[in-house]
Amino acid sequence: MSRFFRQADDSDSSESSDSEDELMSSDDEAPIARPAPAAKTGMDQFLAGGSSDSDSSDSESSDDDGPDSDDDEPQQAVRIMSAQEKRLVEMEATGKVMENALKINDWVAISNEFDKLVRMIQRQHNVSEPIPPFYVKTLVSLENSVNNALAKEKEAKQEKDSKKTSKVLNATNAKALTAMKQKLKKSVKEYETDVNKYNTDPEAFEKEYSDLVAQSAPVAPTDKAGPRPVHTDDKGEPDDDGFKSVGKGGKAMQFSSEVILKNLQAVQEARGKKNTDRAEQIRILEKLLEVAVTAYQRIRVLLALVSSRFDYNSSVATHMPIELWLSAQREVDQLVAIVAAHPAYSIQEITEDYDELKERIPEDPEEKGGIVRIRGSIISFVDRLDDEFTKSLQNIDPHGTEYIDRLKDEKVLYCTISRAQAFYENTNQDEPLGRVIMRRLEHIYSKPDAVVQALEAAVEVSDIKPNMRLASQGTTSGLIHSLCVYLYKSGNSLLRTRAMLSHIYHHALHNDFHTARDMLLMSHLQESIHSADVATQILYNRTVVQLGLCAFRCGLIKEAQATLQDIFTTQRVKELLAQGVHQQRFQVLSPEQEKAEKQRQLPFHMHINTELLEAAFLVSSMLIEIPLLASIDSDELKRKAISKPFRRLLDFADRQVFTGPPESTRDHIMQASKALQDGEWEQCRDLIQSIKIWSLMPEAAAVKEMLAKRIQEQGLRTYLFTYAPHYSTLSLSLLSRTFSLPLRTVTSIVSKMIWSEELSASLDQSGGVVVFHRIELSRAQQLAQTIADKVGAMVEQNEKALDVKMGGTGGWGDRADGNKGEKRGEQTQERRGRGDRTRGARGGARGRGARFAQGLGNEMSSRPG
Amino acid sequence: MAEFDLTKRVMPYLDRHLSFPLLVHLSETNLFAVRDVQIAQYELAKGTNMPDYAANLFSQIYPDQDVPQEFEQKRQNTLLTHQRLQDEAQAVLDVIENPDVAQALRQDKEQNLQYLKDNYNLTLDQITALYHFGQFQYSYGNYSGAADYLYHFRVLSTDNDLNTSAQWGKLASDILSGKWDAALQELDTLRESIDSRSLPGPALNQLHSRTWLLHWSLFVYFNHEQGRTLLLETFLSPVYLNTIQTSCPWILRYLAAAAVLGRAPPAGASPRVRNALREVIKVVQMEEYQYQDPITAFLKELYVEFDFEAAQRELSRAEHVLGDDFFLGEFSADFLDNARYLISEAYCRTHQKIDIRDLSERLNLSPDEGEKWIVNLIRESRMGADAKIDLDKNVIEIFRPAVPVYQTVIDKTRGLHLRTSGLGTAISRMGVQGGGEAPAVAVR
Repeated sequence: MSRFFRQADDSDSSESSDSEDELMSSDDEAPIARPAPAAKTGMDQFLAGGSSDSDSSDSESSDDDGPDSDDDEPQQAVRIMSAQEKRLVEMEATGKVMENALKINDWVAISNEFDKLVRMIQRQHNVSEPIPPFYVKTLVSLENSVNNALAKEKEAKQEKDSKKTSKVLNATNAKALTAMKQKLKKSVKEYETDVNKYNTDPEAFEKEYSDLVAQSAPVAPTDKAGPRPVHTDDKGEPDDDGFKSVGKGGKAMQFSSEVILKNLQAVQEARGKKNTDRAEQIRILEKLLEVAVTAYQRIRVLLALVSSRFDYNSSVATHMPIELWLSAQREVDQLVAIVAAHPAYSIQEITEDYDELKERIPEDPEEKGGIVRIRGSIISFVDRLDDEFTKSLQNIDPHGTEYIDRLKDEKVLYCTISRAQAFYENTNQDEPLGRVIMRRLEHIYSKPDAVVQALEAAVEVSDIKPNMRLASQGTTSGLIHSLCVYLYKSGNSLLRTRAMLSHIYHHALHNDFHTARDMLLMSHLQESIHSADVATQILYNRTVVQLGLCAFRCGLIKEAQATLQDIFTTQRVKELLAQGVHQQRFQVLSPEQEKAEKQRQLPFHMHINTELLEAAFLVSSMLIEIPLLASIDSDELKRKAISKPFRRLLDFADRQVFTGPPESTRDHIMQASKALQDGEWEQCRDLIQSIKIWSLMPEAAAVKEMLAKRIQEQGLRTYLFTYAPHYSTLSLSLLSRTFSLPLRTVTSIVSKMIWSEELSASLDQSGGVVVFHRIELSRAQQLAQTIADKVGAMVEQNEKALDVKMGGTGGWGDRADGNKGEKRGEQTQERRGRGDRTRGARGGARGRGARFAQGLGNEMSSRPG
Repeated sequence: MAEFDLTKRVMPYLDRHLSFPLLVHLSETNLFAVRDVQIAQYELAKGTNMPDYAANLFSQIYPDQDVPQEFEQKRQNTLLTHQRLQDEAQAVLDVIENPDVAQALRQDKEQNLQYLKDNYNLTLDQITALYHFGQFQYSYGNYSGAADYLYHFRVLSTDNDLNTSAQWGKLASDILSGKWDAALQELDTLRESIDSRSLPGPALNQLHSRTWLLHWSLFVYFNHEQGRTLLLETFLSPVYLNTIQTSCPWILRYLAAAAVLGRAPPAGASPRVRNALREVIKVVQMEEYQYQDPITAFLKELYVEFDFEAAQRELSRAEHVLGDDFFLGEFSADFLDNARYLISEAYCRTHQKIDIRDLSERLNLSPDEGEKWIVNLIRESRMGADAKIDLDKNVIEIFRPAVPVYQTVIDKTRGLHLRTSGLGTAISRMGVQGGGEAPAVAVR
């Protein structure tokens, strides 16, 4: 196995940088060394020693070299040496010292000896003699030990935290160890080819050497090759298997399960280290996966593989490469499939400690209840997959084809999520099930039916299916309902809130305004949303905005205006919907803030079109504000505006000296407003209907028609308000003709205005006319009325101030708690009925949504449930 | 008109026994096949301890079949149980009816219990027998007896759950035995206990209790003399209005009807009752998407759309619906009368010259009747001084002088001192509490 990898490395290293190559070799050394003692000592011993991992590896490394030196000694004693041989012996002596030092973990000594050795080799070079295999061998084994020692030390350090028994290297020693590592690296690089050659086939390498030496000195110790092949595998790897890919059966024979687990451990140890090559790790793990036979191994390898894929990209800002994402997605699928097929294996976030190197089977009596618990978390993989998907969408240019291609991956992601859901459903794990359902919900709640159907169709064909499916629920609303209901029942309040909002959003999207509104009001979310996390607040904003659009589509102009009002008065629509970073004029965001802000942004396909939103808001404002403006005759009252943003735009449009043909949506609406003010409803209608952005709205034609009708009605009202002073009577049939409204509608509108005392007039049934009664007020009378109003306003202000003082949300006796507060509550409510303005201001203090809620009636204050 | 029948909606919120009158009424209206209604009655009766009644119904439905044996058996059982329970209850009753004991009993329940235990060896378990016997009596239709026992039980028992249950039972018994005053009293105490209960369970329980109470109270409010006013008072209070909107919008029919019926509230009625119509219209409009029937539609057409023709149409439909409704049946004529009045009032307020014939048509009256009606109307209503009938042209002319400016100023400033003093008390209350919390700041 390791051999195979090495070959792979080599072919790669020709292109890749040297340092990378070196890393690999150092990584791979550990597995190389291990099979040998395992073979020697036998499986049982290895298994037994497995519990104390550090010890066994320690003895291994010493075992490795021990026999060699023993064999060497007697030979050296009798031989007469040449100068060359002398050098060799010298080298071997240093090697011996190093080995001894190694046994006692004295890295200072090793470091010194190694320096000596390097100098000797340098000399060897100078006399242009070939490098003895001994040196190469030492390099390899040293590297091995260094790695082991480093690993051990790390382990020791960790242990030290828990129990103070372990032997941590002292400072100088540790320093020497690191120095050693650096030096080794350098020399290994220098003799790269030799090391590689040695690793591929030590025997051949030594033979080559001895041949070389034999040319110059025939007495060269050929026997050395004999006792040495400790490093060659007993299993007899064929020499020439280097580039040949070996079949699966062969592999399984070659690498027992321990090797896989060991390799896995090696990879895991290297994980997160500074110099680890992540791509290489992934490759190793992929190979391991091919080899893995048992479910346990496959689970373990998959767990490691998926996490290392996610590790691949360390930077937070950029997204994961798409191929990697796709393979991660496939592997998560695979993982779910395995775990679902083998109920005896369970993946848990918290498990008891177990031996990483041991193959575990459910039948083992040590496993409680016949279930093998493995550390890991599928739900976090799913979460991460989803997050990475979003991140990639955030980073891809939304107007390119790449974005669309990427968007197509949502289908497979959705499948994965559904599979995970099915898995958790079967295993009854409520906590992750809630999370995964939330993920699923988030993928479908804002999508039109067709898209959801497509996504669901993909789920339908997969082999593992959750209980809640489009097919079983009938409609998308049914599906979303069942998902949400599950989340409502689960204990997690955050998920519940989000599910609620998604559900409301879905209803709003499907023009089910009343249900959506009732749900929003009954959830009492507007009271607590300020303390929620930012993502949920964004979702809340989106929901409220969608609700406003829904009201607009349904022709509920007043509700639409009231709902959208709050978000538009902030003038930060894009920011609040997480569809763009707000440019603040006087305040510079710190890079962290900016980064956080960027991460929050929604991917483009989820955006709510702000231009459309603005059009809906301004048009509904126009329909409410213009008749209101016309009904007010004194300047004093004119300052009170229902929709400030609209009024501001209108004032601005008024100030312009020349008006050209309308270009933007705003221009259209402003000119339409002016036309409406002048009573030219037809022009107004044409202007509004020619706004292009309506095409983005579903059922655009119906909406336009609805708008035309509203414009007719409001046009009539505006006309009556504006021109009433100039008439004493006005024929109803004329009005009906002018505004193309049926006579009945006209009568109804006029009656309504008379009844609510907006218009001082009465109908003359026999003549079919409206008779206006108008009284001119004298100056004193006007002033008296003004002062009455002002006094009233003052009392209101006082009440408001007290409200704020008593706590913004509570109000003084707003909520009737029991019998005591009831009386007061009633009073307040009556008063509220009297002054509409109070409501608005009070709501303002409560923040967005609250006002909307109040505008719809006071049921929100104490609806039970 | 069957689609406007509310029996199906109301029944789930009623007791089995309370449903019988509804079904009986249904069988009289011919909205549904008599046989279907009878079957429904039979199904209901099967579950009670009234085997005779059930057997009777059975033979009515299946005249050619023998009455099943089970009824006879059940009858035996019932008699046995009755005997047993009566014996148990009698022991307690003997003690309680003893005049000495009646004198010795005080307000404090704990003390009473102790007293009974000490002197007469009466335990809580025995007292509970009263409850069981009362319940049993109710189940076989002896309502007044049930009411008595439950009353006694409630006086003595300290068990909260059973007490509540006994309260419901007493209310049902009073309703079924037609003691409306007692029922009204019971209703009030029950309402109090529901509202005041700081429930241990979820708020949903309270909502359910309120929903039930709303339905049960219909029996009382539409049979008691002052019921309509009280109904408005109760149903329009915020919590019950919310309950209606949330869980049973069909109650709006009764609310709307009561509002129309209570057009001219008695002197001294609370402002809530006086403004009932306005409130109801608001709610009707708001809940239009959930619930609609000719009665609510009438109000909507009249006061929201000002479409007098449509209002007239709805009114004639409403007449039928009302006639068929169990609760409102008796008030049909009254409702019509009041509704006419409302139409003509609205009509007069928006019009200057009214053709009497036209108006009569609107009111579903012949011209002569119409004239009489209108004259009465003018006499009664506050526009008496401004309206004149021109018999020559057969029109009414209404002259409505504009409201003088001083009047509007007075109106505007009227409530100010009240509000200010309200502020004052609130401030002093706040002083006692030691200040409120900081205002919540809207972040996003």
